[in-house]
Amino acid sequence: MTAPVRSSLLLLVVGGSALALTLAWQHWTGPAIADAEHQLKAAQLLAVLPAQSYDNHPLDNALPLPADQPLHSKILAALRATHGTSPTAIVLVSQVQGYAGAIKLTIAIDAEGRLIGTRVVEQQESPGLGGQIADPQSGWLSQFANHDLGDRWALRRDQGDFDQLAGATVTSRAVIDAQQEALRYFDQHRSELLGAPGHE
Amino acid sequence: MNKYCLLVTGLAPLLGATRTFAQAVAIGACMLVLPLLHQALLSQLRPTLSGAKYWLASLLLLAALASCLQLALRAWALPLALTLGFFPALICLQCLAIDTLLPTEGRWRQLLLHLTGLLLACLLLGAGRQWLDNVAGMHLAHLPSGGLLLLGALLALYNWLRPTLTRRQGKR
Repeated sequence: MTAPVRSSLLLLVVGGSALALTLAWQHWTGPAIADAEHQLKAAQLLAVLPAQSYDNHPLDNALPLPADQPLHSKILAALRATHGTSPTAIVLVSQVQGYAGAIKLTIAIDAEGRLIGTRVVEQQESPGLGGQIADPQSGWLSQFANHDLGDRWALRRDQGDFDQLAGATVTSRAVIDAQQEALRYFDQHRSELLGAPGHE
Repeated sequence: MNKYCLLVTGLAPLLGATRTFAQAVAIGACMLVLPLLHQALLSQLRPTLSGAKYWLASLLLLAALASCLQLALRAWALPLALTLGFFPALICLQCLAIDTLLPTEGRWRQLLLHLTGLLLACLLLGAGRQWLDNVAGMHLAHLPSGGLLLLGALLALYNWLRPTLTRRQGKR
């Protein structure tokens, strides 16, 4: 066998085995990647809940959503966290139009209709201005904890109860609207979201 | 092969993916494993292949290795893989440069020496940047430009600690 033929054959073998190795590796790591992505998504969505407050896997049984949607925001999913048999919190995944794009929030509400906390899952706001909603150090989202529908859900300049993010009025209004609408949504569908009451 | 050549070809991952020590460990391990595997496989092909065929085989192997590396990172360290972004794939460029820059004689010794040095630089950079950002409050270190400044400072320190190098440079 001449040298050029031999080298071409070797090249073919190298290319084929490289391709086969990659495909086999992809096939083998596929389940692990899907598993890791699922876990990451769960961690992102449930970061809003304190770790000790629930003992079920809220992501595994997403609740059926009532048909009517709020005016400005869109409820994408509702998750029920339970401890033992009693529901402790509902996590609503809400999407609202911000300044530069859609903002995806997780809003946790306890069984009495109080806000436990809000986290940003996705956003494309201006870095340094509206983008600070996703920055845990800015602490802007923590001012909403423990408030309920009895509060005035608006910025102080709109005669409300809450501070705005400096330089990001549109983002601030959008997030406040989304939280108020999530609370109202919870209030309207409380029995469906919380399910059958546990042993009283 | 000049060690600074290696540093320059690996500059993008070195600056872009060493924000924290964990990131630096990951990218340093990738920078160690990928060139070593690439060179080990190529050393089997070098007697038979030459010219364009050698290059094609090298590129194919590199593509397969880099894909497997990215998949492995996603499978077993997904949060880390997301922060590393495309930087593990950029190590391919470094592998190609290493292949052409290494001398014919004593390849493995040089390669191991330089890669260990690079790993050390990676770890120092990662630890330094994390410390400066979190403890010392210098948030510039979080940005790639801060990484470049710190790398310059590390190189200056290295030159200062090795007087033989500067003396040789001073001779005409």
